[in-house]
Amino acid sequence: MFKKILIANRGEIALRVLSACKELGIRTVAVYSEADSHALHVRFADEAICIGPPRSSDSYLNIPQVISAAEIADVDAIHPGYGFLSENANFAEVCEASHITFIGPSPDVIRMMGEKDRARAEMAAAGLPVIPGSDGIVPDETTAEKVANEIGFPLIIKAAEGGGGRGMRVVRTKKELLPSFQTARAESEQAFGSPNVYMEKLIEHPRHIEFQVLGDKHGNIMHLGERECTLQRRHQKVLEESPSTVLDAATRDCMGRQIVDALRKVGYSSAGTVELLQDTDGKLYFIEMNTRIQVEHPVTEMVARVDLVKSQIRVAAGEKLDDVVGPVRFEGHAIECRINAENPETFRPSPGRITAFRVPGGPGVRVDTAAYADGVIPPYYDSLVAKLVTHGRDRAEAIVRMEGALDGFIIEGIHTTIPLHKRILADPDFRAGNFDTHFLERLTATAGK
Amino acid sequence: MAKKAKSASGAGAETRGVDLEQVKHLLAFMEENGLEEFEYEKRGVHIRLKKASVAAATPVPVAEVAHAGAHHAAPVAPAPPASREPAKEAREEALHVVKSPIVGTFYARPSPEAEPFITVGGRVEVGQVLCIIEAMKLMNEIESDVAGEVVQAFVENGHPVEYGQPLFGIRPRGKK
Repeated sequence: MFKKILIANRGEIALRVLSACKELGIRTVAVYSEADSHALHVRFADEAICIGPPRSSDSYLNIPQVISAAEIADVDAIHPGYGFLSENANFAEVCEASHITFIGPSPDVIRMMGEKDRARAEMAAAGLPVIPGSDGIVPDETTAEKVANEIGFPLIIKAAEGGGGRGMRVVRTKKELLPSFQTARAESEQAFGSPNVYMEKLIEHPRHIEFQVLGDKHGNIMHLGERECTLQRRHQKVLEESPSTVLDAATRDCMGRQIVDALRKVGYSSAGTVELLQDTDGKLYFIEMNTRIQVEHPVTEMVARVDLVKSQIRVAAGEKLDDVVGPVRFEGHAIECRINAENPETFRPSPGRITAFRVPGGPGVRVDTAAYADGVIPPYYDSLVAKLVTHGRDRAEAIVRMEGALDGFIIEGIHTTIPLHKRILADPDFRAGNFDTHFLERLTATAGK
Repeated sequence: MAKKAKSASGAGAETRGVDLEQVKHLLAFMEENGLEEFEYEKRGVHIRLKKASVAAATPVPVAEVAHAGAHHAAPVAPAPPASREPAKEAREEALHVVKSPIVGTFYARPSPEAEPFITVGGRVEVGQVLCIIEAMKLMNEIESDVAGEVVQAFVENGHPVEYGQPLFGIRPRGKK
């Protein structure tokens, strides 16, 4: 087992990793930017090293600084948390070259899953269903028509070099296809410098379902159930829960097995999350994989009764999956609300000093946070203040516990999205489990009412 | 807030060497005399109390306690990255403090047998190499950004340094 681990992250996830290390008897080294000198992860770690000025690129994303800190502190391993360097294959390689264990999968696997095109192709080859679409770039009208015949309408034409919702065109009828194809190519050339587009079936009212997986370094992989993360705003998750209200046991088992088989083929190890979209007909499609621990991992921890972060560390140290996680029995229902330092109606970021901070508790309530009274939410990083997670015998109990917990969570001095979460929980469609990825848009469009 | 003494060998519980009563007295003393900052050093215990200014976003008051390496019962090798407090003294005298721009290991000499790059009391020019900080097997030369006299050296040869850690105090030429 490792003697010392450096946590290459900040905020609540740094604390989360810190506590897992403590439980395993591992000494901890925190790194921090000058904006975080009073942060809890710095105070609670055994050692702390300042690695740069406030900006992430100069500090938490600065590979030489992080590795240098790992060297002078003489650590055995680095846990990258989520975000920052956690899915940076170069960083994982530098760790290896410096004889420091990177807690995560191998650099090759990180790289493969990071290239979304390649991940899709490899997972399709390994047997996972992917959204029907073109085989890469669509070079001409003939191919466009051929693909449209195969996948049907509505479909979406996407710029290969695009992103952020730009360079996409929805096509609903055959008549629109070729004109849209030409326009899409022209726009793409203009906006991104390349006319390359690809095509995909459009899933209009998707639900976002993701599977938690865990693998060891001996070729063993398991899944730990799914999380429903459909409630998103601008592609940022706001609320997550497990199990999904629309997945039955048979589908879960079948998809879980397919995922495990596919990941075994590519040699996946450590924790990871396979993201899928579910169409209105119930069909699931692979969209991408995140090769790290996720923000919403507590949801799975509550229903599967597994410590995912400790498990990550243990498999990274070479332990076998069977020894780390026995047979999993899922119990009850869990919900997580991401409480951000944002205006709950305008969503404008609200960094600043917290003047009052009271955290709810009681049975089935968990709070993961690095915030504290008189502490500061700096403007340089993400706006997550706390993750509030509740667990209940069933979804109804998890909901009512969350409502009570939200009422009892006092944060003053900054704006938070607690009022938004209260509105979500009170919404009849949410309570009925009836929503798609446009739910939050609709809810927030009626803000103030 | 206590700043940790950092040790590579990992001594466990540290004796803080700070009497809470003592700190309370000091705080009262500051209040009575309208002081913004107070610094005290004796027998390896260094206390610095500073009132947060109106614009600052730090908790009030700030108590920083730095320990000299001598407090550890267990053998310490190498010594932990030092506190940033010496820089305050330097600022009082309008010294220019050269701080480390990177994390690494500080070397005062180009090689073990060579002479140190500079000595306390010596003169430096702009661009002159003051020291080397080794990071990831690369030797980074740290150059002076002012011309003047080296008044203080804050780090010992072979010790680790963090970002922003004070390395040298230089009295810029032309200033008294």
